[in-house]
Amino acid sequence: MAAVGRTYWLTEPCRIRREDNSIRVERPDGSPVRIPITDIRDLIAFDNVDVNTSAMSLLSRNGVTLHVLDHYGNHAGHFAPAESMASAAVVRRQVELTADTAARLAVARSLVLTTAENLRWSLDTDLLAPALDALRTAVPTCEDTDALMGQEGNFRRTGWAVLDTFLPPWLRLNGRTRRPPTNAGNAFVSYLNALVYARVLTALRSTPLHPAIGFLHADTDRRRNTLALDLAEPFKPLFAERLLKRAAAQKQLKESDFETDVGRASLSKDGRKKVAALVREELATTVHHRTLKRQVSYDELIHLEALKLVRLCLEGTPYKPFRPWW
Amino acid sequence: MSPANPGNSGNPGSPVSPLDPGEDDQSLGGVHIKYLHHCPRQLWLYMRGYRPEARSDLVAFGEVVDDTTFTRRRDVDLGEAKIDWVTAGAVVHETKSSRAPSAAHEAQVRHYCLLLERRGINVRGGVVHYPLIRRTTDVPWDDEARDLAETAEADAQAVIAAPTPPDRLTRGKCRGCSYLDYCWGE
Ligand code: SF4
Repeated sequence: MAAVGRTYWLTEPCRIRREDNSIRVERPDGSPVRIPITDIRDLIAFDNVDVNTSAMSLLSRNGVTLHVLDHYGNHAGHFAPAESMASAAVVRRQVELTADTAARLAVARSLVLTTAENLRWSLDTDLLAPALDALRTAVPTCEDTDALMGQEGNFRRTGWAVLDTFLPPWLRLNGRTRRPPTNAGNAFVSYLNALVYARVLTALRSTPLHPAIGFLHADTDRRRNTLALDLAEPFKPLFAERLLKRAAAQKQLKESDFETDVGRASLSKDGRKKVAALVREELATTVHHRTLKRQVSYDELIHLEALKLVRLCLEGTPYKPFRPWW
Repeated sequence: MSPANPGNSGNPGSPVSPLDPGEDDQSLGGVHIKYLHHCPRQLWLYMRGYRPEARSDLVAFGEVVDDTTFTRRRDVDLGEAKIDWVTAGAVVHETKSSRAPSAAHEAQVRHYCLLLERRGINVRGGVVHYPLIRRTTDVPWDDEARDLAETAEADAQAVIAAPTPPDRLTRGKCRGCSYLDYCWGE
């Protein structure tokens, strides 16, 4: 994307301070790291951070978001710049579109179907063909987003069961659990999903859209940024399930990368670093984009996806969710 | 000013939304005229609040140079464009970081001349400065120039008021435009 600056991943407890126009990250061991503010697009904290108002105002003035993940990898919240790029003209249209049942369902249906296709692509298996066929039949009959979410849930459950067949026993999901994740596999998926959500939220905040006005997720969702939840959907399989399958195949994950307790699991300190490295590498992976005629990173794909929704709101261009073309 | 939010700082005060009929539709700034010349679609999108340049360093630099917006709210303040008062008249000086003189730059200066004249100032003309190539372009101010400036202003207002955006330029002409990801990232 046009944005300068990168995502910084804070995998260890640290203090964040301001030093002139830089952010100083102080870790308990090691000398502090100074990052020019213009080099930062967002910060993702995997562990405790201690940040003061002086640093926060520098972040805010430069449009930098600080995302906080909790111990189990849930997106606990974020500190966002005071000024948003939201524009009344776009948000008004966004509200109209989401209030229009037909328009809303069109977007929600394509999100559900594409996400399912993407999961099949990510797991690279024929085992999901019957479930996908069933979903294709069911989706057009869904008359509201609750019904769609139900169908999506069915498909997802099948998907996770299929994913389990590629995983060693200790990494299997055995059903998706979230708060807290009950085992290593679920902890991994939770972290990855939270990271995708954080990236999507950052991308949305650089557009005139309002991140809390969504199409698929219900307004009553416990997380209020339903548009960010929507937009994260088609990317989650690319990052979460696909990386889990690959990490298992390449034996990149060890049991010691997780802290497992009875009925709860999270990444260990080393695990967090490992996952941050995996995701960073993945976000930087590039593919050739046909209409932009240049290499784009997976991270930019998220940004481009947000722009598609801006086009939907500004110009009525139908939204076709991201689908890997490579 | 904060490079991350130029859209809210140096730009046309609070940009006049075409959807806000209460606002004065005369307060188009130099940025609008520049965009009109570059690509009307860009102007349309800009006015609806899509401003990708807000996060680009390159443009942040351009913003400082271009921070020449003139609105009712400010007095005779053309930002970076300087005004020389020669005997009984004003000369508008505009500095560009570009290496290529363009019609858009002259149009921008004519726009400032028009705005000044409307405030009762006797305008002599303008000059565009290109320090990087050590060149200047004189922009005369006469009846013909006034016509051009008024036409550009009316064109800009027509573009802004249109319910749908103008078509994209041909792909080749979009090179370097900060709206490229939006227009072509389908
Ligand atoms: S990308 Fe092309 S069509 Fe879009 S605003 Fe820029 S010049 Fe115009």
